[in-house]
Amino acid sequence: MSNNAVTTALESLEKQLNRPLATALEACARCGICADSCHYFVADPDTKHIPAFRGEQLRSVYRRTHDFFGKYFPSWVNARDLDEATLDRLAEIAFSECTLCRRCTFNCPLGVDTPLLMRTIRGAATAAGKAPELLVMLADSAIEKGKDPELFKSLFLQQIADMEKQLQTMVGDPSARITVQREGARVLYVALAGGHTILPPAAIFHAAKEDWTLSLFEAANYGVFLGDPARAKQIAARIIEEAKRLKVQEVVVAECGHACAALVWDAPNWFNETFPFPVRSIVELIAEYIEQGRLQLDPSANPEVITYHDSCNLARTSGIYREPRTVLKAVAQNFREMTPHGLENYCCGGGGGLVALPEYDEKRLRAGKPKADQIRATKAQVVAAACENCRLQLGELNAHYNLNVEITALADLVVKSLKFPKGASQPAV
Amino acid sequence: MEFVQIADVLMPIAVIYAIIAFGRRWSTVRQLPLAKDLSAAKGRSSRGVIYAFTQGMAPWAKESTRRHPITYLRGILFHLGIVVGFAALLGSPWIDRADAALRLAGAVIVTAGAACGIIGGILRLTDSHLRTISTADDHLSVWLVSLFLVSVAVGLLWLRFIPVLQIIGAITLIYAPASKIRHFIFFYFGRLFFGIHIGRRGIVQGLESHHE
Repeated sequence: MSNNAVTTALESLEKQLNRPLATALEACARCGICADSCHYFVADPDTKHIPAFRGEQLRSVYRRTHDFFGKYFPSWVNARDLDEATLDRLAEIAFSECTLCRRCTFNCPLGVDTPLLMRTIRGAATAAGKAPELLVMLADSAIEKGKDPELFKSLFLQQIADMEKQLQTMVGDPSARITVQREGARVLYVALAGGHTILPPAAIFHAAKEDWTLSLFEAANYGVFLGDPARAKQIAARIIEEAKRLKVQEVVVAECGHACAALVWDAPNWFNETFPFPVRSIVELIAEYIEQGRLQLDPSANPEVITYHDSCNLARTSGIYREPRTVLKAVAQNFREMTPHGLENYCCGGGGGLVALPEYDEKRLRAGKPKADQIRATKAQVVAAACENCRLQLGELNAHYNLNVEITALADLVVKSLKFPKGASQPAV
Repeated sequence: MEFVQIADVLMPIAVIYAIIAFGRRWSTVRQLPLAKDLSAAKGRSSRGVIYAFTQGMAPWAKESTRRHPITYLRGILFHLGIVVGFAALLGSPWIDRADAALRLAGAVIVTAGAACGIIGGILRLTDSHLRTISTADDHLSVWLVSLFLVSVAVGLLWLRFIPVLQIIGAITLIYAPASKIRHFIFFYFGRLFFGIHIGRRGIVQGLESHHE
C-alpha cells in the first residue's frame, strides 16, 4: 500500500511535468524575497511559511531524478527519494499551508509559480489517496449528483417555487419569475448551494430585465481543490452540457472565486474546446448593468463604512478587480479600501479549499490574521466579498478576532440599494 | 605548465561545453509539453509579456521590491556585474586592445557586482531563513560567481591577471549548467509565463495603472 502510494504519486508528478511546471521547479534562486508576500509568513514568520521553502519540498524530489547533482550527489542539492513520510508531509503542505493565492508569484522577481507546484502536489497526493477525505467526498458527491439529477430535481424545483414567491414580494411584482433550465434564455446563472446566492441575483436580474434562467447545478468545484482535472472536468461537465443543451448565450457564475476561475480559465482546457458561449462572474455582469444604467440604485441605502475583500481567484487569477469597485461605488456611500487591495490583496486564509477542512481550522485562522488586521485598520462596519469561501472565512475571522463587522456579498448590497416600486418589501438579505 | 597555457586549453573547452550544456537544457525545456490555452482571453498575452520584462521589473512594480529596495538593488547590481563579467571573459583574448576607460568602467561594475554577491553569500550563511532554504550548491554558486567577478575586476585593471580570470571563468562555466546558476535560463520562461497569465486575463492593466 505504502509503496503503491509513492509509486502512484511519482507517476502523477512525472505525468504533470510540462514547461510551466519545469520552469517553476527550476527558476527559483532561493533569494527569499517572497517571504513576506505570503499571509502565512506574515502571520507566523517561520521559515516553513516562506513560499520558496514550500517549493523546495517538491524540488528536492524532482532533483533526485531530473538533476545531475540530485542523481549522483543528492545531499549537495538536498535531493531526496520520495517515501511515504515525505509524501504525507508534501500533502500536508499543499493542502493546509498554501491557499494558492498567487501573491508570491506576483511578488517574485522571476515569476516563480509556487501555487502551480502546490497544485501539482495536490494532484499527486489525490492520485495516491493522500488528499483530505472531506474534499474527495465533496467532489465525488457532486459527480454522483450530476449523474442522476432527476433524484433531486423535484425537491429543488419546489424550493425554487417558494423562493419565487419571496422574490415577487421582494421586488413588488407578482410576475417576477425564477425559471430553471429554460431553453433559449440569454443567461444561464449558476448559483451555489442555498438560496442566498439565488434570491439576490434573481432580484437584480429582474430589475435589469434580464432574460435568465437558473442552472440545476451548483458552481462549486471541489475537483479544482484536489488538483484533479479528471474530477474537476466531471463536475464542470454538468454545467457545460446544460448550457449547450439550453442554447444560452452566456453562463454567469455566482459570487464564488474558485468556481468562476475554474469555469472561465480551466474548463475549456479540460474539455479541449472553446465553449460556444462566454463564461463570466456575476460581478462583471452587475458592473455592466450599472454602466449601462439598467439598475436604479440608491447608495444612501448602504450608509455604513464598507470595505471590500478581493478574492484571490477573482483578482489575481481572473482579473476581476475593477468591476467590484464599479459596483461598490454605485451602491455604497462610504466605500473604503483596505491596504493593500486589488491585485495586491492578502488572501483571507480560506482559499484553496481550506475553509472546508475542519482539521486545519487553527492554521487557517492564524493565517487569516493579516486580513483581520487589514479589516480592523479600515474601521469598516461592513466587509463585502464576492466569494463564498472568503465570506465563510471572513465570518470566522470576525468572530475569532472580534472585528465586529458584518460580512456580506456584493449582490446583497446591490439589492439593498435597488429602488423597488412602492409596495415591495425591502429584502432581508 | 603556466596559467596562460592552462587558460588557453581550458577556456575554449569550457565555453563550448557551456554552450552545449545550456543549449541542451534550453531544448529539454522547450520539448516539454505546453498545452494551448483554449480559454477565452480577456486581454493580449503580448501586453503582459512586455510588461513582465520591462515595467514589471521596476523596483516599484512589486510590493516585495518596494519593501526591500536594498535587496532589489543588490540583485540588480550582482546580475549586471555577471553580464559584464561574462562579456569580459568572452572578450578576454582581446582585452588588451580595449580602451583603458572602458576597462575601468567594466571593473567598477563587476566590483559592485562582486560586492553584492559577497554580501548575498554572507547573508545566505547568516540569515536563518535563507540558510534553511539554501542548498550547498546555492552557497557554492554565489561564492564561485562572486570570486569570478573579483577575478574579472582584477583582470580588467591588471592585464597580467587575465589567465587567472580565464581559469576561474572556465571553472564557473563548467559548473554552471549543472548548478543553481542555470536558473538564468528559466528566468526567461518564468517571466514569459507570468506575462502571458497577466496579459490573457486582463490583469496587466491593473498592474500598469497601479503605479502610474
